[in-house]
Amino acid sequence: MDIVFSAATVAYGARTALQPLTLTLAERRIGVVGLNGSGKTTMARLINGLVKPTAGTVTVDGLDTIADEAAARGKTGFIFQNPQHQMILPILAEDIAFGLKNRKLTKADIAEKTDAILARFGISHLARRRVHELSGGETQLGAIASVLVTGPELLILDEPTNQLDLKNRALIERTIAALPEQVLVISHDLALIEGFDRVLVFHEGRLAADDTPSHAIAAYRKLAAC
Amino acid sequence: MLNGLDIEGNSPLHRMPVRGKLILLFTAAILLLLISDLRILVPALALAAFLYLSTGIGLKEAFRRTRFVLFTVLLVALANYLFHSVHEALVVFCRLSALVLIAAAVTATTGISAFMDEITRLITPLERFGFVRAADVSLAVGLVIRFVPEIFARYGEIADAHRARGLRVRPLTMLVPLIILTLKDADTIAMAIDARGFRRH
Repeated sequence: MDIVFSAATVAYGARTALQPLTLTLAERRIGVVGLNGSGKTTMARLINGLVKPTAGTVTVDGLDTIADEAAARGKTGFIFQNPQHQMILPILAEDIAFGLKNRKLTKADIAEKTDAILARFGISHLARRRVHELSGGETQLGAIASVLVTGPELLILDEPTNQLDLKNRALIERTIAALPEQVLVISHDLALIEGFDRVLVFHEGRLAADDTPSHAIAAYRKLAAC
Repeated sequence: MLNGLDIEGNSPLHRMPVRGKLILLFTAAILLLLISDLRILVPALALAAFLYLSTGIGLKEAFRRTRFVLFTVLLVALANYLFHSVHEALVVFCRLSALVLIAAAVTATTGISAFMDEITRLITPLERFGFVRAADVSLAVGLVIRFVPEIFARYGEIADAHRARGLRVRPLTMLVPLIILTLKDADTIAMAIDARGFRRH
C-alpha cells in the first residue's frame, strides 16, 4: 500500500512541528527514528488522520486523509506509546470486540473475529482477563490484536518496545517480524529496526535521512552526537 | 489502573439480563417513592442490602463504594428530622438508601460492554427522530463508568506523590493535578476512539 506525502506540513500557530514533507512509502517494513520532538510522531499521526496537515496532502492507498477521512483511517491501525491508554473496555475480549461495533456485523460475527484474532496471537487464554492485570508484553499483544481485528493494511507502532523487559522485547520483535501487514515503527530501540526495508531519520521537524537501516542509523547517531 | 465497577461472580443478579436489571431498578425507584409506610420501607431497605451483598462484593468493598452517597442521604434525612419529624427522616433515609443499594448492586453485576449494548438497543428507536446517535450515547455512558475507578486511582497516585515528597495531602494541591491529568487522559482516550474508527461518519 502506498502512503504519499505531498508537501505535507503541520504547524501549531507559529511553531512548525513538521516542515513540508514529500515522500512515498511502499515498503513492507519502515522504521522511523529521531530525537524527542523531531516530528516523527506527528508524521506517523498524519498517516491515520489523527493529525491533519495544515498545508499539503497525505494519501493512503489513494485516499486523502482529510477528504476521505474514515476510509483512509480504516486502512491503518495505530498502537500508541502506552497501549493501556487505548484499551477502552476493561475486559480484553470486550475491548477487541469494541473496535468491531458500529460496523453492521452480527454478534456471532464479532465473537468469531475476536476469537480468531486472539488465537492468531496466541492469547486466547487472556480473553476474559482484565486489561490492567496484563503484563507489559501481554498488553502490547492485546493492543495489536484489538487494532488488527478490524483488518487494516498498515500497522503503525509508536515505540512498541518502550518500557518492556528483554524477554517481552524479544516477544514483540518476533510478533512484528511475523505480521503479514505492512508495518511502520517509530522506535528508539535501534535493534528492532535493523532488519527493516527502509529507515527514515527525522531531525527538528524535517526528514534528515532516508536510507537502508545501517546508513540511516549511522546518520542518526551523528545527529544525536551534536 | 483500568478497571470496571463490575465484580466477577455468578449470583442471580449476575445472570439476569441487563434489561431486566434496569427494569427492576426503575420499578423499585417508582415504588419506593410512592410508599411512605415504614412497615414496608424498613424491610425494603433490608432486602436491598441483602441484594447488594448477594453479589459477593464483600462488606468492606460494599461500604467503600456507597459511603459517599449514603453520607449525603444521611444529611438529607437529618434535614428532614430538623424541619419535619423523626418519621419523615426515617422514611427518607430508608427510601433513598434502598435505592442507592439496588443501583450499586446493578452496577456491580453488569459489565460496561453489556451496559453499552443495552443502552444502544434502547435508544436506537429514537435515532429516527434525529435527536441522538445511539452508539454515541452508549459510548458516553460506558466512558463515565470506565472513568470512575480511573479517577480514584489517579487520586491515589497523586496522594502517594505528595507523601513521597513529604508534602501534606491538601485538597487544593490535589485538585489541580487531578483535573489536569484527567483531562489529559480524556484526550488520549478520545484519540484512541478516533484511531480505532468507532465513530464512523
